[in-house]
Amino acid sequence: MAKILLIEDEEIMIGLLQKKLVQSGYEVIVARNGLEGMDAMRKEKPDLVLLDIIMPKMTGFDVMEKKNEDKEIRDIPVIIISNSGQPVEIDKAKRMGVRDWLIKTEFDPQEVLEKVKKQIN
Amino acid sequence: MPRNTTKKSQTKSLKTVKEKLKELEACSIDDKKTRDLENSRMALMNILEDVEEARKKAEEEKEKTASIVRNLSDGLIVLDDKGKISLLNPQSEKILEIPQKEMVGKKIGDFEGVERMNPLFKLFKKELKSIFRKEIFIDKELILEVSTVPMIISGTEFGTIIILHDITREKTVERMKTEFVSLAAHQLRTPLSAIKWTIKMLLEGDAGEINESQRDLIEKSYQSNERMIGLINDLLDITRIEEGRYLYNPTLDDLINVTESVVKASQDTIKKKGVKFEFKKPPKRIPRVMMDTEKIRLAIQNLLENAIRYTPSGGKVTISIKSDKNKIEFQIGDTGVGIPKEQQLKIFSKFFRGSNVTKLETEGSGLGLFIAKNIIEAHGGKIWFESEEGKGSVFHFLLPVKKELEEFLKEF
Repeated sequence: MAKILLIEDEEIMIGLLQKKLVQSGYEVIVARNGLEGMDAMRKEKPDLVLLDIIMPKMTGFDVMEKKNEDKEIRDIPVIIISNSGQPVEIDKAKRMGVRDWLIKTEFDPQEVLEKVKKQIN
Repeated sequence: MPRNTTKKSQTKSLKTVKEKLKELEACSIDDKKTRDLENSRMALMNILEDVEEARKKAEEEKEKTASIVRNLSDGLIVLDDKGKISLLNPQSEKILEIPQKEMVGKKIGDFEGVERMNPLFKLFKKELKSIFRKEIFIDKELILEVSTVPMIISGTEFGTIIILHDITREKTVERMKTEFVSLAAHQLRTPLSAIKWTIKMLLEGDAGEINESQRDLIEKSYQSNERMIGLINDLLDITRIEEGRYLYNPTLDDLINVTESVVKASQDTIKKKGVKFEFKKPPKRIPRVMMDTEKIRLAIQNLLENAIRYTPSGGKVTISIKSDKNKIEFQIGDTGVGIPKEQQLKIFSKFFRGSNVTKLETEGSGLGLFIAKNIIEAHGGKIWFESEEGKGSVFHFLLPVKKELEEFLKEF
């Protein structure tokens, strides 16, 4: 069973995504801020990370930076799920090695699921 | 009194009178001269006094004017007809940090390399072109609005006044307002996406089967939520326009392809509304244009959505594109409700909606055309329309065929 790490601080979003992903047969680990997310990545070695950008303590960009410095977790694929989606931000994230960027108001859980499947297969 | 005595005395007195008269005559000639002289002197004195008074008055007036110029909160630079600086007030000295005596007699073009003069130098180095409320940055903390006024007295121009108006505070407030709207819009997005996702999962049966009337209600809330998301996105677009960081990553692109993708995405709406649609493509390929493709797509989408929305079913919407080697013209016509004549001037204003369409339906934020206008103008193009109430509207925009980026990234 593929393991997905969800790094997100919004409780409602966590609930919705977790439900959808578990229903579709994935194992979901949740981290509620960037720091927890880094720890979970190192400990759990997930198959995919869903990462929010605006979070307390460490932003999604900070997480990407730290992740890129760490050989052990550098290659884990990341999909950003964010409220925002400025071309500048998306470009920056792509340069940091992010696979995909989802704007929450433009996608719904079903579409997120499709993006996840694409990365894991 | 005896008669002869009387006569005698009469003769005597006549003589005396005659003499006296003569005397008087002689005397009066002298006296007249003196009096004339006196009169002239008096007149002269009066004139001198008048002149003195006038001089004093003029001096006072001059002092008054000088004091007004000195105490104006705006900076003033006065140039003579040869473009040399003849006067500047303390406020301009303060703004430019150059003392008056170092400025007077020189031309603006003489100040190359002087840091605080640089924006003015750039504007006026070649000629004293007429400018109205042009925004310039003297440094990070000082933003000015520059205007020029010709000094004309009885038809002859004998110089120019440059007015430097400090708008730093207005700009700061404007930025704070924009930042607030941007922040608020971002904050609103979070709950809106939660609502969107929850409703969508309900609709997809993630929480169990729902019946038809439940589905109907839930779908309505989904649509309303989508509208809200659209509004928030429009607001965010506007804050970006106002922050002047709107265009991103321009590339050479084909306007026909961009238009086609918008048309394709709107097929459902066109069908649902029951309007006829035609896209008249030019027979030949058109030159590609430097554009922020996403933004141009948004501009076309806004124009097309308006045309469909305000054209009753059975009506027609036509898009056509033509080009020459300097420009591309996009045109979209409809047979819709049109824009009332008295409101045509306001049509590109933020939040403006025609009185006839607000009666028609409540949907529409009044932001679409404002956004479209800003997008087109940011590309160095222009947008305009013709419209008649009850008959329809035609909107046009022009994009220049240019490859230079500098020209393209026009400031707002």
